[in-house]
Formats: sequence, C-alpha cells, structure tokens
Amino acid sequence: MKSFAFLTILVSAVGVEAQNPKTYTPPKTSWGDPDLQGVWPGTDMVGTPLERPRNFGTRNVLTDEEYAQRQNRAVNQANVDSQETVNSVTRCDPSRGGLGNTPTTCSNGVSIGPPLYWDDRGKPNRQASLVVDPPDGRIPPLTAEAQKLQADRAAARRARPCATVAGGCHDSWEDESLWDRCITRGAVGSIVPNTYNQGNQIVQAPGYVILRNEMIHETRVIPVDGRPHAPSGIRTWMGDSRGRWENGALVVETSNFNGRDVIAGTPVSDSIRLVERFTRLGPNALEYRLTVDDPKTWTKPWTVSFPLRRDGNYTLYEYACHEGNYYMYNALTGARKQERK
Amino acid sequence: MKAAILIRVGAALAVAVLAAAPAWAHHAFAAEFDIGKPLKLQGVVTEMEWINPHAWIHLDVKGPDGKVTSWMVEGGSPNILLRRGFTKKSLEKGTEVVVEGYQAKNGENRANGANITFKDGKRLFLGGSSPEELPQAAK
Repeated sequence: MKSFAFLTILVSAVGVEAQNPKTYTPPKTSWGDPDLQGVWPGTDMVGTPLERPRNFGTRNVLTDEEYAQRQNRAVNQANVDSQETVNSVTRCDPSRGGLGNTPTTCSNGVSIGPPLYWDDRGKPNRQASLVVDPPDGRIPPLTAEAQKLQADRAAARRARPCATVAGGCHDSWEDESLWDRCITRGAVGSIVPNTYNQGNQIVQAPGYVILRNEMIHETRVIPVDGRPHAPSGIRTWMGDSRGRWENGALVVETSNFNGRDVIAGTPVSDSIRLVERFTRLGPNALEYRLTVDDPKTWTKPWTVSFPLRRDGNYTLYEYACHEGNYYMYNALTGARKQERK
Repeated sequence: MKAAILIRVGAALAVAVLAAAPAWAHHAFAAEFDIGKPLKLQGVVTEMEWINPHAWIHLDVKGPDGKVTSWMVEGGSPNILLRRGFTKKSLEKGTEVVVEGYQAKNGENRANGANITFKDGKRLFLGGSSPEELPQAAK
C-alpha cells in the first residue's frame, strides 16, 4: 500500500532559527488569537523515515557521521535526479532508490518506473525518524483484532486468481488505492511529508482556523470557538476537527472518521482520533506534532513530530487529481487484456 | 501494436511476478505498463496535457513507411513539473523528442516516459545543458 512509508532519508533541520517556545510569543490576530497564518510547506522533511531504524534505540538525533552520510546521499540523489537521461549502468541501479528502479522492474536498462525527478526532495537534517513516541520511534504493534483483520485480508487476496498475475489485482476500481483513485490521502497522509505537493497553508478568521493541504487540495475548516463535535453519526474522510488555544499553540482534536483510511500501510478503524499541536517556535518556524490513537488498530497511541518552515515564496497549486486520471483506465484495461491472453 | 513504429530496445524479458511498487510511488507502473514491451519512440509533440495527477505528452510518430501514429506519454504531476522548472514553453508543439519507456499493458499507444530527450540528446529538464555533459552511453 502506498500510504506513507517515507523511506529514504534526507530532510531539513528545523530551522536553525527555531527558538525556544517558552521565549517566543507569536503575534496576535486583530481579534486576539495567536497568529499562525502563512504558508508552511513540509517539503524540507520529505525523505525523513517515518520509523526509526531499530539500531538507533531511543536516539532520534543523528551523529555527525550519520548526518554526513545523509548529506552525501542528498548530493548523490540530486545528481541522479538531474540526469534524467542516464546511462544503461546507472538507470536501473537499485541504489538510486524508489520509483521502480529495482531489478525486477528494469528491462533492457530502462526502468519501468517514472523518472526520479517526479518527486520532491527534502533537505538533510539530523532527525532520525518522524515518529517520536514511542521513544524507539517505531509504530506500536497491531492489536490482536487488527492482526486478524490483516491476516484475513491477506488470505482473501491470495485466494484470488489475480494474486499471481504480474502487476497484481486490478479487477475493479476497488483494487486501487485511495491515492490512485484520487479520493484523499487522509488527514494524516495529507500533511506528513511524502513525495510531493507538500504545501500547507494556515488561514484564520474569528472563531476558525483553516488548514489547507496542497496534496489533493484538502481544506479543513476548524472551529476554535468551543463548540462540541458533530454527532457521532456524521463520518467523513478528513474527520471532524475542533481546535483550542493552549499557551499560544493550536491544539486540534479530530474524530468522526469514516474508518476507510489507510495510515502507514495499515487500514484504520472508525474509532481513530487525532490530536495535532501547532506551536510557533519563531517567526518562520513551527513545530507540528500529531498523535494517532486508534485503539482498535494499534496497541497504544503513537506520535510524529517535525518542523514546518514558513516560505512566502511557495505557491500552493491546485491539484484537481481526478481531472485526467488515465491511470485507472490504463490499469483496468491492461488487466483485462492480460486476462484474454 | 504497430511494430513498424517501435524500435525494440531488445528482446522482451519474460514477465515475472513483479514486486509491489515502491510504497510511496504515486501509482503502480507495473500495473499500467508492460515490462515486456520496452519501446523507443521518436516523434513530434502535438499537445501537452497539464492535467492531474499526471501530465501527458502527445506525440506524432512517423514510421519507416511514412505512416504517422499518435502516442501519449505519461509525465509527472504538473505541480512538481513546474517546481522543477518545466513550463509551457518546455515542450512546444513541433518539438522533436525521443522517448524510452514501456507501452501500456492494454496495448494502446500509450507509454511511460522513463527517459525523454530532445532529438539532439539534450535533456528535457536541463534543456540548456550541453550534451557533452551527458554520460557517454546516454548520447
């Protein structure tokens, strides 16, 4: 599943300009709320692994040597990305990483994957993983209920005739991911840095904070006026958010999800709740912290945290993902053609 | 498939059961394109579709017999292409390009553009770069 498995590495250090939140007081809007408005892309953090390698233990800061390795990889990646036409030796080298450049997806020296420059790249930083809690940076184990669900789904997949077909099962649109179907990347997948379209914008009005995500142009209108959540029968892809101010930080609690999202490769339940905290650390630095709590799926909550850097030059472009989604047609008709062979 | 207009890069490999696409790729290219059908197209740009989630380049490809066939080649998301410096002027109508990639599994004249270069070997995204800077084998 594609959701987010932010592999690789690279990323940006939270701004060097980051200041001690205890000493930084954000400006106020004209109606007196802390002012978080601006464009806050997460692009710098693209490539930071979601989970930490086990050998790091509870250490989430790279050593000088590890940081130098990450910097080297970024330089090499930039070099490869700029060589859209590369020679037959390098173009299918798995060490280039990603986008289909594996021995099984290369034929005659040309990758079946798209060119590497289709993705954004982050900037090297010292953060080992986006997951900061549990302290080992690993997403907690699945509950017994979720494990059984996953095993049942896997068994059902294996039982289908298409399971052994090259390219996998494409019997209907339901075999395609939410991403491929241009439906949503969900409240988590829309903001946790991954691939491209990492623009985020915060706009405020009296009683509301509006969060825009460039990826599939999601917009969450978040009341901060103390009103209760929508009734439990109201269920949506992006959930129902309510915000409040705590010591200058915006805290957003979101529930009422429809239970059809996939997070970090795992289908989640409709019991999932998110708590996000947006803390300004300086004029152009903001810490984003997100706790995922789905007691039916994971044995305990887990938290990611990463910096967002204000960039007044970044433009959030519209991403009307459905408008020309030839992929769906190509994949389904391709599978039908394969069946007739 | 119009074999005449395809320059086979080599013998097609047996189709193996492919590994799942990378977890963060936008979509499964192995589902959309046929690794058994590598191709190389040389053609003239007739249209650039700036659509989401992926741009598509339309080409007219002339075969050895003079017959012209239309092809579509998949590109990146318009947003990322713009951020990488790709503009409306990058591939104007009439531009000759060479595409290496794989044909769509459905057998239609569609392909992915794993490598796209101008006729003289210049790279699409670094159009101003000298071909001399390219690795030897890529020319």
